[in-house]
Amino acid sequence: MSGGVDTAPHVLIVGGGGTGGALAHDLTLRGVRVTLVERGEFTSGTTGRHHGLLHSGARYAVNDEESAIECIEENMLLRRIAPGSFEENDGLFVGITDEDMAYLPSFLEGCERTGIPTQVLEPAEALRLEPNLNPDLKVAVRVPDATMDAMRMPLRFFATARANGADLLNWVDVLDLDLGGGVVSGAHVRDLITGKQTRIGADIVVNATGPWSEQVARMAGVDVPIRPSPGVMLAVRGRLTNMVINRLHASGDGDIIVPQRALSVIGTSSWVVSDPDDLGVPADHVQRMVDEGSILVPAVREAPSRSAWSAARPLIGSRDDADSGRELSRTFKTIDHAVDDRVEGFVTITGGKGTTLRGMAEVCADAVCRKLGIDTPCATRQTVLLPHTAAYAA
Amino acid sequence: MTTETTSTRRLRVHRFKRGDDAPHVEEFDVPMGEDATVLEALRWIQLHGDPSLGLRHSCFHASCGTCGVRVNGRERLACVTKIADFSGTITVDPIANLPVLLDVVVDMATFFAHYPDPHPIVRESGFLPEAAVADDLDGHERYEDCIECGLCLSACPVAATDDSYVGPAALAYAQRLLEEPRDGVDRNALLDWADQDAGAWRCHAAFECTEACPSDVRPAQRIMSLRKELRHRRSEQGREVPEQAAGEEAT
Amino acid sequence: MSETRAPFDRERDAGVEEILRGRRQPAPVSRKLPGPIAWFDLRSRNTGHLAFSLNRVTGLGLVAYLYLHLAVLSQLLGGEDAWNDFLEVATTPLFLGLDVLLVFGLLAHGLNGTRVALVGSGFVPNRQKALFWSLMAFGAIVLVYSALHIFGGEA
Repeated sequence: MSGGVDTAPHVLIVGGGGTGGALAHDLTLRGVRVTLVERGEFTSGTTGRHHGLLHSGARYAVNDEESAIECIEENMLLRRIAPGSFEENDGLFVGITDEDMAYLPSFLEGCERTGIPTQVLEPAEALRLEPNLNPDLKVAVRVPDATMDAMRMPLRFFATARANGADLLNWVDVLDLDLGGGVVSGAHVRDLITGKQTRIGADIVVNATGPWSEQVARMAGVDVPIRPSPGVMLAVRGRLTNMVINRLHASGDGDIIVPQRALSVIGTSSWVVSDPDDLGVPADHVQRMVDEGSILVPAVREAPSRSAWSAARPLIGSRDDADSGRELSRTFKTIDHAVDDRVEGFVTITGGKGTTLRGMAEVCADAVCRKLGIDTPCATRQTVLLPHTAAYAA
Repeated sequence: MTTETTSTRRLRVHRFKRGDDAPHVEEFDVPMGEDATVLEALRWIQLHGDPSLGLRHSCFHASCGTCGVRVNGRERLACVTKIADFSGTITVDPIANLPVLLDVVVDMATFFAHYPDPHPIVRESGFLPEAAVADDLDGHERYEDCIECGLCLSACPVAATDDSYVGPAALAYAQRLLEEPRDGVDRNALLDWADQDAGAWRCHAAFECTEACPSDVRPAQRIMSLRKELRHRRSEQGREVPEQAAGEEAT
Repeated sequence: MSETRAPFDRERDAGVEEILRGRRQPAPVSRKLPGPIAWFDLRSRNTGHLAFSLNRVTGLGLVAYLYLHLAVLSQLLGGEDAWNDFLEVATTPLFLGLDVLLVFGLLAHGLNGTRVALVGSGFVPNRQKALFWSLMAFGAIVLVYSALHIFGGEA
């Protein structure tokens, strides 16, 4: 790969969320020189804000088979490469109404098809495991959901990449991309720590900015089909359950409750915006979290609120796709703009979810390495990650 | 953050870039709804006032511990601190006793360097004691309460004048590992680590750490427990010494 | 760590090195107040910090008193006349007031120290504020009693 007068190729990753971090880790293991720039703290975009659910994929088993399979595979993998970063308490899909019960057969079938293990529980059994559930539940299905710390788990990818030689530069804002003759050759950045501007050159620039993908792509004169789709989340005081609680139905608002230390996080809702920096926290959406959440766990209704916030998912679709955002796929996409837009040296990785960060990075790293003429295979499936504290090492 | 603006608040924000001679203060007038948090106000400044403002945040719900700042001198998590709780001008400063990285963000490297190794962060849940555990699980797990926010170190009057003090967070963490032993943790090594001058003995019982903690860790009480353990160990070792010496000579 | 990194390409990587170098510049440690003045900062503070500050102040005060005490005792070396001159000063209201201050310092430092020792032995660590105020209340009673006697002139 490198030797003699050749220097290893330099990849500049724009975006320090889970995807950027996992990509930095993957490429570094393959011998690529990696620099990552993130305008704030790592995971300060969408990654840190999600409720921390390690998806079993069951939620997508009926309507989005591709996502479901990705989820269950990555779910099992992450437990092996990031041990000690999950509350491995499993999850329950709880059926309350007759409509929920009607959903049960296709749910079980979908899980079977996609390789997601399930265990059907009688109400009494479910209530023994989770005493705070709605006592009127009709059925509960146990699945291998788990809870993660939405910041600390991805931070392990950063810690490992950094220890292996990647330069991970937080508080560096990309002002513009260097585009000349149809080739992206670097970025103009401002280091917020010194206030100074400079230029970073690279062989390939990867756009891993999630809901900001459109904004960054525009700097290279290309368009990506990403619509920032925010949703509201509500954290209430009290660890009301140990397991992740899901509603047994096709996706809807407020149908997941995830325990986070001494809080319970209820999520989420969905709408579409144009500016991922200006999301708002609509009060009626927050109320919906309380209403829907208390159907699953009645104690939610009276529990004091700790925080209500919004996070924008990066949903892939074409510009004309449905307005609510839910209909857009949750799978991910690597776009080589040399192929799609005849702009060389620029790749976008986008879409996806917190659970699939490693898998997304593998696909993107494969594409990037192909472009660079590197045939070193991916090593992230077998590499156990350093603890999150190593990310702060001096 | 509600979308309607109720009032305009003045924020006085600590600014510093590497290369500056000294920090300075900048004032911003920020239009905010009644439910707005300090973090939302700071982000408004970033988006509409000064894009070079450095901020640290991630989870928005007091779980990541990254948004610690001092609001009117008191240690708070910006994401759950309401603007409405303060009247007049609101001062925002970085938390104390750590080097400033930029503006209101500190460099957490020393904070983490104080911790003993290893650093497991998952523990037994203990919540819902009446809950049964599924057959194939050993028990319910959860994360440790401590979110590593550094508010305790900032509030500690000893840390204010002694940078070698390992600090309440690290000591509270060590006490948790002794209280609930986990794989890979060497009890004696942990007690040795706590038994240093800059360890459990450096605390002067001001209890500011417990006051500042947003996660109910109660570090001061845990340091007192640690001291009790260390004293027990010392008196045990004291009694053992003559027998030990004889034993060693025999082998 | 650097073995896995590529050799530095000056033109391509200059920006990265510049940023890294910029970050190595010195930065001040964030402090509420410079140096030991922080010991006496009671703004927005809780009972525990009050106790801490009180102990620092009285600690310094008692050490200063020790030197003063030695200086006073050295008057004895001057003979009976020198000592009698001193006693006249020692019975003035100002001096008696200082004696009361001394008693305050001893009580505050001793009682708070007792609180620290008790709490550190596992005695009501969750009620340490109540313990502090009860001990201070007790100390206040003893202080008033002592002040009355000091100014009351009992031999």
